[in-house]
Amino acid sequence: MRGVAVALAADQGAGSGVAKVRHMSDRTIAWIFIAPTIVLLLAINIFPLLWTVYLSFTNFKANRPSRVVEWVGTRNYERILGSEDVWEYLQATAHFVGWTMFFQVVLGFGLAWLINRQFRGHAIWTTIIVLPMMLSPAVVGVFWTYLFQPQAGIFNYIVNFFIDAGDFTMIGDVDLAPWAIVLVDTWMWTPFVMLICLAGLRSIPDYIYEAAEVDRASQWRQFWTITLPMVMPFLMLAVLFRGIENFKMFDMVVELTSGGPGSTTELASINLKRAAFEKWKTGYSSAFAVILFVTVFGVANIYVKVLNKVKQR
Amino acid sequence: MTAAAASGAASGDNARSVVEPSTLSRWLAAVLVIGYALVALIPLVWIVLTGFKTPSDAIAYPPKVTFDASLEGYVNLFTNRSRQPPEYMASLPPAETWYDTLVRKRNMVITGPSRFAGRYWNSLIIGFGSTFLAVFLGTLAAYAFSRFKVPAKDDLLFFILSTRMMPPIAVAIPIYLMYRTLGLSDTHLGMILLYTAVNLSLAVWLLKGFMDEIPKEYEEAALTDGYSRFQAFWKVVLPQAKTGIASTAIFCLIFAWNEYAFALLLTSGRAQTAPPFIPIIIGEGGLDWPAVGAGTTLFLLPVVIFTVLLRKHLLRGITFGAVRK
Repeated sequence: MRGVAVALAADQGAGSGVAKVRHMSDRTIAWIFIAPTIVLLLAINIFPLLWTVYLSFTNFKANRPSRVVEWVGTRNYERILGSEDVWEYLQATAHFVGWTMFFQVVLGFGLAWLINRQFRGHAIWTTIIVLPMMLSPAVVGVFWTYLFQPQAGIFNYIVNFFIDAGDFTMIGDVDLAPWAIVLVDTWMWTPFVMLICLAGLRSIPDYIYEAAEVDRASQWRQFWTITLPMVMPFLMLAVLFRGIENFKMFDMVVELTSGGPGSTTELASINLKRAAFEKWKTGYSSAFAVILFVTVFGVANIYVKVLNKVKQR
Repeated sequence: MTAAAASGAASGDNARSVVEPSTLSRWLAAVLVIGYALVALIPLVWIVLTGFKTPSDAIAYPPKVTFDASLEGYVNLFTNRSRQPPEYMASLPPAETWYDTLVRKRNMVITGPSRFAGRYWNSLIIGFGSTFLAVFLGTLAAYAFSRFKVPAKDDLLFFILSTRMMPPIAVAIPIYLMYRTLGLSDTHLGMILLYTAVNLSLAVWLLKGFMDEIPKEYEEAALTDGYSRFQAFWKVVLPQAKTGIASTAIFCLIFAWNEYAFALLLTSGRAQTAPPFIPIIIGEGGLDWPAVGAGTTLFLLPVVIFTVLLRKHLLRGITFGAVRK
């Protein structure tokens, strides 16, 4: 920090510099502290985003920068919204987001509920369960392709140990591949929902349960009238975070299935990367990116409003 | 999401009470949770084990749980090798090192180091560089947001958070074009700046939460004692925010360490990090699984250690400070 103070002092001219720093008003200090953050975010997030919006109205191709750029109006948008392929990618994304949320909420809440019984050693097991979500999604994708190998894969071996499924390939099969990515994501991110639910469960004051005991409310009734409603805002927060992340999902799925077989697991972000960096349809992919961003942003905002209503109850 | 941030509060301990669960239900809970944990651990344990297998053991059917440990995967990870005819192998002087011996058993010789060490080093430079910058800038901004009257404070904070909602690919093309113009493509500096920008939202939000918890009275006392604002910040607030800064740093480091999409699209040689490299460790006839296992193990190890260190602040980190306990 001294570095900053000294640098500023130097700016003020030698001699009375230090004294000037000393007398700087709180308002000035506030701006000096905040400005670098805002400038960096504007330069590396907002400026590129605006550029993307501009490119989405042009026929620009990033691999041919010398070509004359033409303004094409909303043609890119019309082409995307009218394309049947795009609906397929969006359906694949919806399948992925919907089912991962379902499994993660059920498993995550269940685990949190069990851990909240505070059996001996629960803290250590919680830390162990949390490990998968801290790992690099791309690397997770890579090593699951190994676990899913039809012959040598441990996953297939374990499945065959319980049911006679014969030779099958999770990531090479049109019907199974969409479930393979759901399975791996659930393995990785259930702990996330679990941690947040656990915080929710711990936030319920004991006296509420004590009052319910006095009223002789059954365990079942206590669960539905106390536990679930009070954890609900936390659960919804977890779904918000995971929902946004999974809607943008790229790294894990690219490494696991790279969108295949066919385009059964080609999620929106994967298609976006193909259009942008393999086919170099920059204008088209920019329009698609804008559509996706507006969707996430819009849905997230509506969702937060609902979340606040739930919390007020 | 700003509103959601308020849901933090809530008491932590669930101390002893009349509604304590019965012994039986605790037992049942323990069995189920430990069961889940063990099943969830299988993939991780398996990939670590694979790093110590020979290539033939790694693709054996049925999968081998017990095997003779070998360091071949690690040797293959760090070296480039080429296959030689038996006559040439016989003409070589005796192997000098244990890894030479290991490689020669496969009728191969080491031709030089592989690119893995370089990629790992890039991950370290970019990870630590961007973490330092994000935490430095984040600490300043968080302090200002926490202590001063800033016009449109909530809007600014929400703006900072919303930068995180963007799909990385959506901004990748303009960043790619911008970096090409500025000469930042495939450089450490370019990647450090990029990851700093991505991590800043997390750093500001987390650190603001930590700083809000430090009582203002300490600084006010220091200010009346004749400290300047900078001195009060440096000598009073920063030491108290130490834990918060450390855990924020670890979260930023883990993110930068794990990041894949930008690294894949914006780097190729000089500044490529490990995540886009691990998937392309090719052996003879497909991926060299023991080498992939070894690379994965070395790559995941720091994150596992940090996770254990960080376990008390995990929840806070993953929810941007929205849930505190």
